[in-house]
Amino acid sequence: MQAARAAKRSGAPRFEEHLLEAFSNADGPSGWEAPVRALIVSAVRDNVDSLEVDAMGNLVARIDPSGGRSRRGAPHVMLCAHMDEVGFMVTAVEKDGRLRFRRVGGIDPRILLGQVFRIGQNGARGVVGALPAHLLTNNDMNKVTPIEELFLDIGAASRDEALQAISIGDLVAFDTTYESAGRVRKGKAFDDRVGCAVLASLVQKRPPVPVTAVWTVQEEIGTRGAAAAARRVAPDLAIILEGTASGESPGASPEEQQPRMGGGPTITIQDRSLMADARLIDLLAKTAKRRKIPTQWKRPGVGGTDAGRIALSGAGVPAAVVSVACRYIHAPAAYLDIRDPQRVVELVWHALESLRKEWP
Amino acid sequence: MKPRPGSLDALLKTLVPAYGPPGRETGVRAALRTALRGVGRTREDALGNLHLHLPGSGPRLLLVAAMDAPGVIVTRVESGGTARIDLLGGRGAAEAIGSTVLFADGERALVAYDRPASGKEGGALDSSSLYLATGYDKTAASKRFPVGSVGMLEARLDRLGDQWRASSLDNRAGAAAVAAAVLRSGRIPYDLHVIFTAQSELGSRGAMTGAFGVEPEMAVVVELAHVGEAKDQSPVTLGEGPCIGLKEHGYIAHPQALEMARKAAKAARVPIQYLVREEGSSDAGAVRRAGPGVPTVLIAIPARKTGGPDSLVHARDLERTVDLVVRLLATPPVPKPVPRARTPRRGGK
Amino acid sequence: MGQLEWSTDEWLRHLTALPGVAGYEHVSVPEFEKVFGLFADKVERDKMGNVLAWIHGTGPEPRPRALLAAHLDRIGFLVSRVEPGGYLRVVSVGGFDQRTLPGKEVVIHSKPPMNAIFGTKPPHLQKKGEAERVIPLEDLYLDTGQPESVVRRRVPVGTMVMLRQPPVGLLKSRLASPGMDNRSGVAVLVRTLQALRERRPAWDVIAVGTVEEEDGQICVGARTSAEGLKPEIGIAIDVSHGDMPGTREGDTVPLGGGPSLCMGANIHAAVFDGLRSAARAIGLPFSVEVTPANSGTDAMDIQIASLGVATAVLGIPCRYMHTGVEVVEPRDVDRCATLLAHYLASLEPEWRATEVLK
Repeated sequence: MQAARAAKRSGAPRFEEHLLEAFSNADGPSGWEAPVRALIVSAVRDNVDSLEVDAMGNLVARIDPSGGRSRRGAPHVMLCAHMDEVGFMVTAVEKDGRLRFRRVGGIDPRILLGQVFRIGQNGARGVVGALPAHLLTNNDMNKVTPIEELFLDIGAASRDEALQAISIGDLVAFDTTYESAGRVRKGKAFDDRVGCAVLASLVQKRPPVPVTAVWTVQEEIGTRGAAAAARRVAPDLAIILEGTASGESPGASPEEQQPRMGGGPTITIQDRSLMADARLIDLLAKTAKRRKIPTQWKRPGVGGTDAGRIALSGAGVPAAVVSVACRYIHAPAAYLDIRDPQRVVELVWHALESLRKEWP
Repeated sequence: MKPRPGSLDALLKTLVPAYGPPGRETGVRAALRTALRGVGRTREDALGNLHLHLPGSGPRLLLVAAMDAPGVIVTRVESGGTARIDLLGGRGAAEAIGSTVLFADGERALVAYDRPASGKEGGALDSSSLYLATGYDKTAASKRFPVGSVGMLEARLDRLGDQWRASSLDNRAGAAAVAAAVLRSGRIPYDLHVIFTAQSELGSRGAMTGAFGVEPEMAVVVELAHVGEAKDQSPVTLGEGPCIGLKEHGYIAHPQALEMARKAAKAARVPIQYLVREEGSSDAGAVRRAGPGVPTVLIAIPARKTGGPDSLVHARDLERTVDLVVRLLATPPVPKPVPRARTPRRGGK
Repeated sequence: MGQLEWSTDEWLRHLTALPGVAGYEHVSVPEFEKVFGLFADKVERDKMGNVLAWIHGTGPEPRPRALLAAHLDRIGFLVSRVEPGGYLRVVSVGGFDQRTLPGKEVVIHSKPPMNAIFGTKPPHLQKKGEAERVIPLEDLYLDTGQPESVVRRRVPVGTMVMLRQPPVGLLKSRLASPGMDNRSGVAVLVRTLQALRERRPAWDVIAVGTVEEEDGQICVGARTSAEGLKPEIGIAIDVSHGDMPGTREGDTVPLGGGPSLCMGANIHAAVFDGLRSAARAIGLPFSVEVTPANSGTDAMDIQIASLGVATAVLGIPCRYMHTGVEVVEPRDVDRCATLLAHYLASLEPEWRATEVLK
């Protein structure tokens, strides 16, 4: 309620939480973003002027600004979030019905043991079993098993039985369901379904500058969709919306805990893929200060996003990243503070207003 | 007495110490603009590359030299007023120890490293072992060196015998050579674009976008190549002339560009060496695969690492590099028919 | 008339004999141009050295384009220095399996060419335990048997070195040779061009012999040719791991089982479906190869070129990849070409990879 009132006062659109829930529960590992894309299409179709799916599966929506024709010189802004999540693919079925699988995107193999997964389109569920402690030596208990040696057990007793429920090439996602508790939201794939939901919320109202909203594919396997999308859009500048890892963990010093869940939008200065544009960072920081939106800096030198690709597309694009800080971001279940996505929507909205007046 | 235009000494003196870590190349960009005033139109692009255009008839030739130098970024300030950092650029952590870091607003700090108590180093150092000694307490340090501050490893030009010594010779020496060549050139039978690239230390980022925007027909890239420690038997020696790069990681000399460079070296009587290795990477790799591709050759100035921040370059190799580039720029292109793939533009970019 | 009637076995023997590591493909390009020119409407070379062979489609202009890519470069070495005694050191271009090098014969492509051997220490001079280690490339050297002065005069730094191993016929018509990666892919292009001449597609089809797939992190030829051509569809043809002992279920495809159709993020679903339907329609054996994120082929760079391309990968089963004894079954090459020709002929003139929703 508080968020809605604040949004109404400021003129920014409201963050639509039901979209976050739907997007988080949908399955879409890199290369198979279709289920997520379908939900986004339903959510934004009526609010955009054109909508396309490109050769890689990126969803590209153009929205003319309010007031019809854009003011001469108003920058064309690309707003971007990625639809894919880390997941797995079934690569083979053993004679005894166990499934072999491989990663799509970066995942710590230690979180796989004992985990439950959803497989394919027919609602099959499987588990990655661990040999019980009684049957292992001390040595084995301390070893990390690489993914190539793990199996999915869907309960089948033979290859034929397994192939009735699933197919080779089927996608495998964490079996996590979205939940609320106070301000905290739990779900999978907040990286980057929260960005997708923020973007879908932003386009509910006509923006102050010409915007092309892009929901990209294959970010988790090398920011690939963004490469093609950036060339198609050829924007004047880009703002990428992400879910990022918070620094919080027991025993960490106060400085190491940054950014924190609930600490407001996290702004990137530099990561492995990008030196964020200095003027854009400055504009975002000043906008936040003016609108009294708490913000925090992302820890420099960590991670990479679509922004890196977009900045290096064509003859170069000034780019910035605004994220929601989440705990346990590449794990089956992550946490975020529901105030943060609303703050991101407001920050970006008001930044667009400043861009109309101040850019280049 | 005013140094003559194109004097390498003068260019090195202004370029080597200029502030310009990756992504914040403000000082070196300004120094280059000053040095090249009156030569042609300059502009800065989205990534911070400095473009210089000398319009002319003839094919479009691109001349490239990176202008950024290794730096650091502050990741957090700790309770003692020290600052944790991440390295910006290809410099190894060990090489940065003891360097002073300069920030854009004039602040300075010292790169420090706490030896393990046992006295034994456990494995390779990385940036997590380093920190900045600021000389302030936490409150003052947080104000003066906030998270995200970008600094450059201080570079001081020095001459040891016949060799130049500095921590930013890679690639300020390359940039100086290119600037000198442009200043010494008369009429150039090309439509010449010069790009002093930004963020080269972060993976040739500026080179990628700069070359894409220019769409040249051929490119020459001037960089340093560190050719091993003194005890190695590298076939490339300091003082024996600039290298023509035949192969590095992700780069092979284009036959036509290579021929052009070889001919120019012969005509200018510049002794050359050849660089062939699996590792190493430079802007040449990025430039050659921009857009539909660019025939590219790398001119690599031999350099030696010292284990610390400084590199060594032979002064004669640098002068000869300038001579080679001047001759390259002055030699009209050989009208060899390169069959072009037909690429009718079909909408979009 | 000679090459027009060659069998696939003859094509493989001919194509694997042509040298050309990444960056040096130009030494054999005139022959590739001639070979493609037997069947294509037009052959040209772009500025990065890619060879483009056009089949003009029958549909109305402007015709959409399908790019077929097979890389021309193969693994090998470059001379990095000449040492006292006339021994030569080399660097690897493209990842030759270093375990297989000691004692092998090579050709040094100097003018004129010279033969040499990767020298090895005789057993009685080796230290204890030395025989249990793999020798890294930095410790290997080439011996021409010639005096140092001759070697220094004739072999400049940067000279290309290729393995010297003629093709060997095995049982079941299988052929072992260096360079099956990816001259078998080039053979597929030749056969496909031949078939498309008989049965023209509606689309323009450009068979591209790409440069520099093997070396570096980017497939340079694939990227630059796709940037230039801007195709709707791009299909890479490359070798896949054929079944071998010691591998896991799902890691290989059967030799003699026909081409493999890759499945993964690098593959456009509609192109995959189209290829699979075409194979089923003509009763052509094939296997499915799961490549979740990285197909490791030209298709990785074609997919993200320009505004994006709908890509797929066809694999030719090949055992012992990146050695001098890569084994391929010529029948798989034929099947790959047959499948491509059928698929391309089935493409509707109006199909586009971009879907407009509003």
